[in-house]
Amino acid sequence: MSENANPLTFGDIDRRVLATLAPASRGYWAAVGLLAFGVLIGAGCWAYQIAAGVGVAGMNNPVAWGTYLINFVFWVGIAHSGTLISAILHLMRASWRNPIVRAAETMTVFAVCVAGLFPFIHLGRVWMVYYMLPIPNQRNLWQNFQSPLMFDVLAISTYLTVSTLFWYTGMLPDLAVVRDRSTGKKKKIFTIISLGWTGAQEQWRHYTRAYLFFAALATPLVISVHSVASWDFTLGVVPGWHSTIFAPYFVAGAIHSGLSMVLTLMIPMRRIFNYEKIITIDVLENVAKAIIFTGFIVAFAYGTEFFMAWYSQNPVELEVFRNRPFGDYAAGFWIMAVCNTILPVVFFFRFARRSLSILFMVSILVNIGMWFERFVIIVTSVSRDFIPHAWGLYAPTWVEFGIMIGSFSLFFFLFVLFVKHLPSVSMTEMKEMLGKRGGHGG
Amino acid sequence: MDRRTFLKIAAMGSLSFASGCSSQPDKTLFSLVQAPDDMVTGRGTWFASTCRECPAGCGIVAKNREGRAIKLEGNPLHPINRGRLCMRGQAALQGVYNPDRLSKPLIRENGRLTPISYEKALSIIQDKGSDAAKKGQGRVAVFTEMVGPTLLSLFKALLAQWHSETPTLFEPFAYESLKLANSQVFGIDGLASYRMEQADLLVSFGADFLETWLSPVEYARRFQQMRAFGSGGKGVYLHVGPYAGLTAANADRFMVCRCGGEAFVAFGLIREVLEKISDSSVSGDLVEPLKRILDPFDREEVLKLSGIRQSHYDLLIERVLSARRPLILGTQGAGAGENTPATDVASCLLNALLDPDLTLIDFSNRHTVERTAKRSDVLNRFKSVTDGKVDLLLLNNIDPVFSVPYNAGFRKTLGQDSPFVVCFSSFMSETAALSDLIVPIAHPLESWDAYEGKTGVWSILQPVMGNLVGTYTLGDLLVRLAFKGETAQQGYRGYLANDLIRRGMIKDERDWIKTVQQGGAFDGLSSEGGLSSKVQPSWSWAGTLSSAIDPGASGTIFAAVPSIRLFDGRGANKPWLNEAPEPMTQVAWQTPVLMDSHTAAKNNIRQGDVLKIASTWGELEAPVYLSEFLHPDLLVMAVGQGHTAYGRYAKGFGTNAAGIFPPDTHPVCGGPLYRVAPISLTPTGKWLKPANTDGSRVQHHRKIALTVPLKALYEHQEKGHPGLGMWDFPLTLPLPEGYDPQRDFYPPHDHDGYRWAMVIDLDRCIGCGACAVACYAENNIGVVGEKRILQGREMAWLRIERYLDEADPTRVIFLPMLCQHCDNAPCESVCPVYASHHSREGLNNQIYNRCIGTRFCSQMCPYKVRRFNWFDWEWPAPLNFQLNPDVTVRSKGVTEKCSFCIQRIKAAHGKAKDEGRMIQDGEVIPACAQTCPTDAFVFGNLMDKTSRIRKLMADPRAYQVMGYLNTKPAVIYLKKVIRDV
Repeated sequence: MSENANPLTFGDIDRRVLATLAPASRGYWAAVGLLAFGVLIGAGCWAYQIAAGVGVAGMNNPVAWGTYLINFVFWVGIAHSGTLISAILHLMRASWRNPIVRAAETMTVFAVCVAGLFPFIHLGRVWMVYYMLPIPNQRNLWQNFQSPLMFDVLAISTYLTVSTLFWYTGMLPDLAVVRDRSTGKKKKIFTIISLGWTGAQEQWRHYTRAYLFFAALATPLVISVHSVASWDFTLGVVPGWHSTIFAPYFVAGAIHSGLSMVLTLMIPMRRIFNYEKIITIDVLENVAKAIIFTGFIVAFAYGTEFFMAWYSQNPVELEVFRNRPFGDYAAGFWIMAVCNTILPVVFFFRFARRSLSILFMVSILVNIGMWFERFVIIVTSVSRDFIPHAWGLYAPTWVEFGIMIGSFSLFFFLFVLFVKHLPSVSMTEMKEMLGKRGGHGG
Repeated sequence: MDRRTFLKIAAMGSLSFASGCSSQPDKTLFSLVQAPDDMVTGRGTWFASTCRECPAGCGIVAKNREGRAIKLEGNPLHPINRGRLCMRGQAALQGVYNPDRLSKPLIRENGRLTPISYEKALSIIQDKGSDAAKKGQGRVAVFTEMVGPTLLSLFKALLAQWHSETPTLFEPFAYESLKLANSQVFGIDGLASYRMEQADLLVSFGADFLETWLSPVEYARRFQQMRAFGSGGKGVYLHVGPYAGLTAANADRFMVCRCGGEAFVAFGLIREVLEKISDSSVSGDLVEPLKRILDPFDREEVLKLSGIRQSHYDLLIERVLSARRPLILGTQGAGAGENTPATDVASCLLNALLDPDLTLIDFSNRHTVERTAKRSDVLNRFKSVTDGKVDLLLLNNIDPVFSVPYNAGFRKTLGQDSPFVVCFSSFMSETAALSDLIVPIAHPLESWDAYEGKTGVWSILQPVMGNLVGTYTLGDLLVRLAFKGETAQQGYRGYLANDLIRRGMIKDERDWIKTVQQGGAFDGLSSEGGLSSKVQPSWSWAGTLSSAIDPGASGTIFAAVPSIRLFDGRGANKPWLNEAPEPMTQVAWQTPVLMDSHTAAKNNIRQGDVLKIASTWGELEAPVYLSEFLHPDLLVMAVGQGHTAYGRYAKGFGTNAAGIFPPDTHPVCGGPLYRVAPISLTPTGKWLKPANTDGSRVQHHRKIALTVPLKALYEHQEKGHPGLGMWDFPLTLPLPEGYDPQRDFYPPHDHDGYRWAMVIDLDRCIGCGACAVACYAENNIGVVGEKRILQGREMAWLRIERYLDEADPTRVIFLPMLCQHCDNAPCESVCPVYASHHSREGLNNQIYNRCIGTRFCSQMCPYKVRRFNWFDWEWPAPLNFQLNPDVTVRSKGVTEKCSFCIQRIKAAHGKAKDEGRMIQDGEVIPACAQTCPTDAFVFGNLMDKTSRIRKLMADPRAYQVMGYLNTKPAVIYLKKVIRDV
């Protein structure tokens, strides 16, 4: 943190962060409009699918799960790192995470929202989705809590609730800062949403306790939510899914993709909002180091899967793992393997960790790789499972691409709205960090 | 038949007798305002009738619910099919309910077809007929499909009034060569039937008796009586031919030879047999000339000319010489190549030599398709039409424009102004489209008639439902044309009854009702003996033998073969038949041309490449399907598709091979030539994705469709220590006793008196696919069409998996795959809303109303038998009238699958409860098991220790597909037995 010649002051932090909330330029609204259009495309495709039937997507027998669940797992994975950075690193007192914590948490909340849409999009009869809720009914029909999908409902909704509360709680002092420095309608809104924060000693005491409790509460959720998502697969009998390593493997993969997404979001944000002094290159470097680590875990998991297939000598398992690198979906497998495990190795070199362009590029490629990881797991396994007569191939259709565009648009749409309307860097925690080093002086 | 059924049929039979054929079509099919007294809403009534989808003449019973026929089953009393049907029979209903049925007579005026009334149409025909009769003799010609004797006599009566000859019975597959051989060798110009079940060795030189040959349902049954391990049969079946269809695929050894080389194999066999037999039972008149004629065909010569593999030939000789009761069948019979008559004659001679008493050949109960005219006679008769000697041409339900080579003149002559062509047809077939007057006629299932499938087996056709579109039956129209007064008044039904009385088939009205109830008069069927025959002197057959020519000279040959699905093309407008994949290729909706995979590889041709195939007479384009079952010099295509008319399900699908065959007939037998050479092959550069439903042709060394050598079954089997692997996992019954705390985490299910299960004997399954189509009919399964099959969205609840042996790809095994109703079902635990649910009777129920479409169950199912409704499927009216009211029609977004025909189980429950007893063994029969011609399925209650399936569990061949997953499937398979040949 000593790289900058002029150390930051509390005033600098407030000024820089609050500057981002200034009225937006025309370019910004153009971007918002474009993203909103993307959301409309996705919504239109979904409406068409509901009217015509899920057949407008490319799924078939045997591959009855396609990009909708790939995207579901992908977005749940993205959602991961936010909480990891905000909660686990908070508990571990790794204060380098303070500059990016707000953006990462926001990413989590929005990614969970987007992820949560996909199970609905996936359903054959989404209008009957309330059957999954334990609503009392005259026929005493209940839900099957043996089903991993019911686990999912609970895990995702819990995760969304806790991460939203955590995010909001952490933002309270910052909202008050915005309230104090704004006028008119904006002041009114922020007065309401800052919940009467005055900065009294008692409030700070409650605030820090609550934040710590939420961090402690969120930490097991980081592990559980993606473990539960992995049980969608691992609790079945399908070769390539039915494996005990899935929970840690999915958690590691999720952190891998989440960290990359953090980089993907931070690097442009830092540039646009002149956050260079706040989100320093050291912070990005630390993220890159973590990516090396998760990349290795993921690589180890890939290797373990192949080893287990070979060790079992079960023809079904062997065929699935032969098919992945050499079969119909070999391209997907190699994109996954190269992007997730080989590319992050460049971060062993210091220049790569500190080069914005390399960081940005690798982060994008790791995200692509992680998307394909989910494709490889979900599609290749069932496309060649137990009964060779039933084998078949799957390819997404334009409806699925439209919905995918819609999902990315929705995520960035929400994120872009967030960065201009709420403090995108946690002023409180930045000040905390500075305070420890005696930077009070603004 | 039990008493209740008898009373029901009696009641409904008399009812239909009383109200059967009114000239006014019913306005509505279902009207409870004036329901018959004995019609109970919700309860089906069964009417016996006869299937007319091919000339075999199987008996059917049709289930009528609230006025609509919804399901056909075989008539258990009928001696031909004994309660079973093939897939074409199952699909006959889609002829009645076809959305492209014509309802009004159409007359061509100034090139446009205009609807007219039946009165007008009849008067036009009457006028034209009278005019023609005034001009002289023979000015009216009739070509009809194979019809019963009564209708034929009516045609004759009508033609006699118009001073014309008898009608010509036209069937595209008329067995000319076999008839010729029977007449030359045995002196009987007809088609004998075969007591296949009594043989211990069956050799076929191409006869596809499991697909279309003579009477496929009957012969499938007899074949498995002869061969199946479960029925004690120990027979062996060898097939010699240039390609393997379904029949050859069921052979214990398929011996490939050149197209036309079968003749020389047969010659060689005769030579070997002559050398072996010395006893005097065979007359010297037969032996001497044979020795003289066949002298050149020693072993080397046979191998050279036929192209058969030496080991195969030696095996064939050894088997034939050592067999006690061998039966030799001739060629395919549907169409001829150059050597077909020689092969058929040689086969007949072989039978005469091997079994001089001819005990396995039944000359009394012959197949009446023998009455159809030879193709050469048909063409001769038609030539008089072409030559202008005929003024009025009546065509009854035939489509020669489609099925006869294009150059034979049908196309041209029918398209001309003269003669005046009247086409009786329910559909706008290619022939109808060229006719001057199209008169739609009622479907056989809406008509009164009698049909004689085999001599002595009289089947009655009765309307199994009201008249759907307001058409008249052909019989009624002809009666009104031919008679005046009382006879015309009483209509065809009265004429029929009188005719049957005159023929002595029935005595009086009471007898008539009884005959109608049981579906016919079957007393004429003699079981043994009957007509004997004597081998004819050599002058009659020697010439045919010498007509065989060297088949090696012609290069690549293109051949067309009848289709088990579409027969001669008449099935092409039925969606189920198109949707059901062809058993050998697993291709639906398309007509590929089969090519040897090695030949294709040599010529750099991939599967799906569209080839242009041209002969001297025409050309066609078709995609290639790579096959392991062909002689390298042969291309094979099934007939049936390639229609340019005939309704929405036929028009524009596939290719018709008829265009490239020569218009001439075979010089010896007069049959059509379904082989053509030389041909030229040109790649078009186009590629058509094959709509095949299989993902792999082999089973990748998995425990799916298993075989066991016959010898191993008689040896003491050392039972290995059970383990947890794919091959050593024990058979675990879906009962509490199948649970082992060492393996199972969860406790067993409590079942309530019943645990339904099924045993499928792979040794009996011939892969014909009748079960799959029966399932479509019973369970309202959606037809998805070619495009969706290409996307992998077929909805079949039951599919026949076809696997080639990995070691020897010419060996095939068929495995019917349906929901296994696992006791430990992977699909049940994953459904979040309990839509997939284990019933108290062990059924794996799918609750459609509860399903929200996560498709989790489908992903988890190891057998991939669950089907998701990607869309709302369409049943264009009136196809929707066929829907079974006992089964929900599923909407888009829900998963469905085999229910073990739960509606039938529930019906049996209701009946058993009324009578205060348990459901008895064999009382519930699912649609697949009901129709299986070879009895491969057995269904029953596992908790009943005395049930048939419970006993079959003890069979050493019993196993569960992928049982090591510990799903405890309730579908137990019995391994196919491999005879060591």
